[in-house]
Amino acid sequence: MSFSATQPMPDSLLAQARAGDRDAFATLVRAHQGSVFSIGLRMLSRRDAAEDLAQDVFLQLYRKLESIESLEHLGFWLRRVAANLAIDWLRRRPYSDTQPLEEGAEIAAQEVAEDPLMSRELMRLLGELAPHPRAVMLLRYQEDRDVAEIAAMLDMPVNTVKSHIKRSLTALRGQMIGAKLIDCEELP
Amino acid sequence: MNENFEDELRRRLRAVDAPEGFAERLMAALPAERKSTVVAFVPKAAHPARHFGVPAALAASLLVAVFLGVRVANDREIEQQKGIAASQQLMQALRVTSQKLDLAYEAVNSPPTAGDEENRS
Repeated sequence: MSFSATQPMPDSLLAQARAGDRDAFATLVRAHQGSVFSIGLRMLSRRDAAEDLAQDVFLQLYRKLESIESLEHLGFWLRRVAANLAIDWLRRRPYSDTQPLEEGAEIAAQEVAEDPLMSRELMRLLGELAPHPRAVMLLRYQEDRDVAEIAAMLDMPVNTVKSHIKRSLTALRGQMIGAKLIDCEELP
Repeated sequence: MNENFEDELRRRLRAVDAPEGFAERLMAALPAERKSTVVAFVPKAAHPARHFGVPAALAASLLVAVFLGVRVANDREIEQQKGIAASQQLMQALRVTSQKLDLAYEAVNSPPTAGDEENRS
């Protein structure tokens, strides 16, 4: 079985995984591993830590499959656990302080062919945000979740999510303009 | 524009692939059998101490309650008796005082006798 996150998966897959079908569980992992790993990577700024985090998230999922009601709920659950676990890990050890974002170039090369400098700088600036706003920005722009969903995932009021987005956008844009990576004309 | 910047963010923050072989390493690390978080109800084997534990505790509680009740009732009765005795003593004292006052009143209001007059002169 092979499904990507963009392909629709049959609902029976979850039931099969719950019944102990390891192949079905592996299919669920493959469909969501990129998303969970990316949250870890951009939150913790380290590939090894991101892989550890993703493993931890999927191990938790394996133990708690009974509580997952649907494939939609699965996506919500994985993002929620990944983001909150990353925030928790950052509280214990500030990864971004100890390790510069040397993966920035790698990520940039992988996802956006043009202007890797801009991508690298964006990753660096994102890494400078506090853990909660960083998680909000990733769930909003990487995972394309709406404000209400982000609020539910991070257990915070909707207005706080909106405020984090507004402030982070202003800060990122300001710094990108300062670094002459985007045009001043792009200001509203 | 703001939307342009947001679109740029979306484009540059697309999810990246997990490291090669991630799923395989994860599956190898999974326990052989998944432990269900739903705990089935399994009646436990009867154990003498557990079997009699609850009734014994209830009986002990009942005994303590009865003992305390009797003790409280006794204490109340003793207090009542003390109260009655004190009240009787008070009444006795009042009666004695009243008798003394009556005697004094009679002594003051009775007409003087001949002997009394002689004593005065």
